[in-house]
Amino acid sequence: MELLDRYLHAIKFWLPRAQQDDIVAELSEDIRSQLEEYETKVGRKLNDFDIASILKERGRPLVVANRYLPQQYLIGPVLFPVYRFVLAIVALCYLVPWLLVRFGLIVFDPSYRSVRSVLADVARAWPSFWTVAFFAIGAVTTVFAVLEKVQSKKKFLDDWDPLKLPPVRDPNRIPRLNSIIELAANFVFAVWWVTGAWSQIIFDRAGVRVVLTPAWRGFFWAFLALALGNIALASVNLRRRHWTLLNAGIRMVLDSAGAIAFCWLLKAHLVSEVISPQLSPAHAAEISNAINTYMAKSFPFAVMACVLIVALSGIPRLVRLRTGRTRLIQSLALL
Amino acid sequence: MSHSTQNETPDVFENLRLELRRGCLILAVLAALRTEQYGYTLRKVLAEHGMEIDEGTLYPLLRRLESQGLLKSQWREEDKRNKRFYRLSPEGKQILKQLLAEWQGIDSSLDEILKEPSHGTS
Repeated sequence: MELLDRYLHAIKFWLPRAQQDDIVAELSEDIRSQLEEYETKVGRKLNDFDIASILKERGRPLVVANRYLPQQYLIGPVLFPVYRFVLAIVALCYLVPWLLVRFGLIVFDPSYRSVRSVLADVARAWPSFWTVAFFAIGAVTTVFAVLEKVQSKKKFLDDWDPLKLPPVRDPNRIPRLNSIIELAANFVFAVWWVTGAWSQIIFDRAGVRVVLTPAWRGFFWAFLALALGNIALASVNLRRRHWTLLNAGIRMVLDSAGAIAFCWLLKAHLVSEVISPQLSPAHAAEISNAINTYMAKSFPFAVMACVLIVALSGIPRLVRLRTGRTRLIQSLALL
Repeated sequence: MSHSTQNETPDVFENLRLELRRGCLILAVLAALRTEQYGYTLRKVLAEHGMEIDEGTLYPLLRRLESQGLLKSQWREEDKRNKRFYRLSPEGKQILKQLLAEWQGIDSSLDEILKEPSHGTS
């Protein structure tokens, strides 16, 4: 019966101390009764293999012990879906920008394109990536574990008011406030742009001047046209407060054009010269070069950010409107 | 599609069967313990009456019912071995009576529902 003792000892390890002996005594009695009955049935003394097969049927010691323990969990079934949702958002907010920046560097930075430099960068970023990920997941888990503890004692989730449920939001409806803010912001921008950004001397104070290249004028007109376009669209949206394929398409075109113009501006080496009485011409040229270089270096990040913003805001809206339209046509065809 | 449904059906049935039996097992254990028994014989009695229960379910259940005051237990020597005998407590008898009434209520409700013509097939 040495094997049985080993089995019972393994079970005992996982049981609550106060009940260990009692539970093991009862289990021992039950198993011994079963073994005796089996011995009578086969008409011989049981060997270790017979006992092992009976014990295997009863289950792993941890599983057997677990049945005597109260149900325990770090995050219970009520909070678990929320926990999973928050984890997914944290992962998305952390992982996607990280990947997009690397992708942008590979696409737009020639010095980054070799396999060696990509691997070197990934190897450099790897430890900090996991450290931040570990702490982010750990922090979310800790918060939810604490919430679970509080919930199990205070039952705060049971106290809710159906009257406080948020209204069902029509995703195709354009809130009036959004249109007003958009209108005001673009109007202020357009006034400021026309009065302050026309000149190629973009900064002139205390003897310091920053002069831009003639290409600036092209950007001036482009951004002014975009601001006017946004004002026109916001004015229409203020009156017709639903997204249609037409105004959503125009919104997408304006946003994409703004993103392209902004990214282009970064690569255009717009700073022609920096003039200051305290700077030698050579030093001033170095500064203007540095500004142009840093702007150009931020180009990949800007492209990725713009793609992300335009794609997340515009594409789902267009897809939703298109599927809605298809469904409407199908329903009309059924009538 | 129908192939996967056919494969899943036994699992679905088994899960539902276990769910259905879980509540009935408590009733069966309480009913069987109107006469004093220890775990092993209780399991055999239940099995003989078609209510098989594995020891991993029975013993924790007996402990739970005892902690709820529905059973009383006592360690006693029988056939030169110490065994723990269980029997229904007075509270357990009361609860069993109530549960049986509930069970009969469910049974007759189900009978009534089954007697009605099926809405889908008519």
